[in-house]
Amino acid sequence: MLELDHLVRRFGDAVAVDDVSFGVTPGVMTGFVGGNGAGKTTTMRMIMGVLALHGGEVRWNDRPVTAADRRTFGYMPEERGLYPKQPVLDQLVYLARLRGVSASEARRRGAELLERFDLGGRAKDKLEALSLGNQQRVQIAAAVISRPEVLILDEPFSGLDPAAVDSMAELLREYTAQGVPVLFSSHQLDLVERLCDQLVILARGKVVGQGSVERLRGGGRLLYRLVLGGDASWLGEYTGVGVVESNGSSALLELTGASTDDLLAEALRRGSVREFAEVRPSVSEIYREVTA
Amino acid sequence: MSERSNGTHEPATLGVWLIVAQREILVKLRDRNFLISTGIMIAAIVASLAVSGFLADRTTTVTVAAAGPGAAQVIQEAGTVADAANKKVSFTTHTVADEAAVDLQVRAGTAEVGLLPNGSGGWKLVGKNTKNDNAATYLGAAVQQLTVQRNAVAAGTSMAALAKGAAVSYSLLETSAVDPGLAKVVAIVFAILFYISSVLFGMAIAQSVVEEKQNRIVEILASAIPVRQLLIGKVIGNTIMALGQLVLFVGAGLIGLSAIGKGAMLGQIAGAAGWFIVFFIVGFLALAGLWAVAGALSTRSEDLQSTATPLTIAIMLVMFLGIFLTGTARTIASYVPIVSIVAMPGRLAEGAASWWEPLPALVLMVAATYGIVLVAEKIYRRSLMQTGGRLTIRQALRVED
Repeated sequence: MLELDHLVRRFGDAVAVDDVSFGVTPGVMTGFVGGNGAGKTTTMRMIMGVLALHGGEVRWNDRPVTAADRRTFGYMPEERGLYPKQPVLDQLVYLARLRGVSASEARRRGAELLERFDLGGRAKDKLEALSLGNQQRVQIAAAVISRPEVLILDEPFSGLDPAAVDSMAELLREYTAQGVPVLFSSHQLDLVERLCDQLVILARGKVVGQGSVERLRGGGRLLYRLVLGGDASWLGEYTGVGVVESNGSSALLELTGASTDDLLAEALRRGSVREFAEVRPSVSEIYREVTA
Repeated sequence: MSERSNGTHEPATLGVWLIVAQREILVKLRDRNFLISTGIMIAAIVASLAVSGFLADRTTTVTVAAAGPGAAQVIQEAGTVADAANKKVSFTTHTVADEAAVDLQVRAGTAEVGLLPNGSGGWKLVGKNTKNDNAATYLGAAVQQLTVQRNAVAAGTSMAALAKGAAVSYSLLETSAVDPGLAKVVAIVFAILFYISSVLFGMAIAQSVVEEKQNRIVEILASAIPVRQLLIGKVIGNTIMALGQLVLFVGAGLIGLSAIGKGAMLGQIAGAAGWFIVFFIVGFLALAGLWAVAGALSTRSEDLQSTATPLTIAIMLVMFLGIFLTGTARTIASYVPIVSIVAMPGRLAEGAASWWEPLPALVLMVAATYGIVLVAEKIYRRSLMQTGGRLTIRQALRVED
């Protein structure tokens, strides 16, 4: 379990990360969302020890994290970087060796990862000869080649095409299935919703929402969609129902007193019902709500 | 990086600099430009020694157009005098009928000098538009010698009797196998090699630092290993390469010297060259730290021009001090760290320094290097994560970890 305990980081007078606490649970994918400048990257850099902490503590398995622990963490920084003029496999091997993997083992794993990302034939090419999307795949390979115990990924999906997003997602699921805590930040909220079990929402350096996606969504306003065979305008007059949005035969409703059974019975009495469903707020709606 | 989180080093990270150094070396060895420039440099050293050796060994021949009785004897004597002085000068004689014929040959350039009786028992030399030094010296000496000899016989005595008691011996208190001219050349060569290697490999370090900063791979590296290990790896990797290249250059020079028959000087020069390499290693470690700072202060390789300029100028200054300082100033300079890399071996090559003098100078430089590397590491560590543009040293020192 990776825990962030009241982290604080200032740049001059500005507080970039303000008392941030959350946990990254093993076996679970945690999404880290927030607008530009919310402090996501700073927080991740503090986890990785690239930036010093001005307050608080990062804990790994119930004790303060050490440099040795961090060597076992896989990291993909927001500002991507590898050696443009070095052959792809060579730099994967180099980065793995820096994290304590033997040269021969690193070479084997590197080849395996490249194969997996359909880059098996490009192992000897210089990185700069690869397309940006493929460079991104190499970057991912660099983050996981040391078989990390924790994965900290800053915007891992940005710049990936849909196929690459899927293979990246599959890779992350494999790691979480092995019990690796995975924290990744993203602007693509639909993706976060699809992949994540846990969510941490950051705004202006503070955690403004966290928990399981289910819980967060459940905490939002529960609405219902009702689609009728005929006109839906009578709903405006119906007691115990607030119309949020209405459009011809369909309406988005909030129940302010009426029960679902009463409402459905009334609708059926008036004609046919095509759809009647709960509408849970999407992650992006929750996000807008908590960061507003 | 946070000191508190780095407080506990596991032993495994302590040797990580080796992997970094290994990469630096491999990258350099695969750099075709580096290999080609090294090859050209070695070829240039061997070629320049071969040329100077050829020039030194060549016998100069002076063609003399001579007229008048006894001229042949004078020219023959001149050859003997030159031989006695151990100079490689020989004289060829064109015997002609009269002064007009001498003038004709000298004007036409078929003879460098004309030798004629001057009408009052002596001789005169005729040149076209410049005086030939060898002719002036050795023909002059030959005439003098022959005349004195003849006069001595006429006076009823002999050369040997006249010269008795006139012998002057000249012994040197400090013997040097190297002639001062060559020692000066050796000192200049040390200074230039210092400059080339320092700038070449220094730039390599700075570029390698800024490359990692520019590509942001430094963030991955810094999360994997302590930044200090990264710096040590870079500095040692490039120092090994600089040293290897220097040993190649110096070795080529020494082999070249022995090949052109200057083997007798080799002992003293090789000793000085050995010290030069030792001084260079220690001094370059300090410079390497400073070059890494120059790299870390910039954000893009374009900035490197401006952050590296002060260092380039300082290194150039050291080179010129090594070449132009003389006397006491030079003796002092040979103890000043960094300048001593060039000045001390230069003095040793001349035989102007005692055997023990490099030792205290080296101790001073080791101390200075230690201090410089400590400060450099601090600035490097602090400026490495700053990507908001070029930094000054003062700004870098103000940055918090």
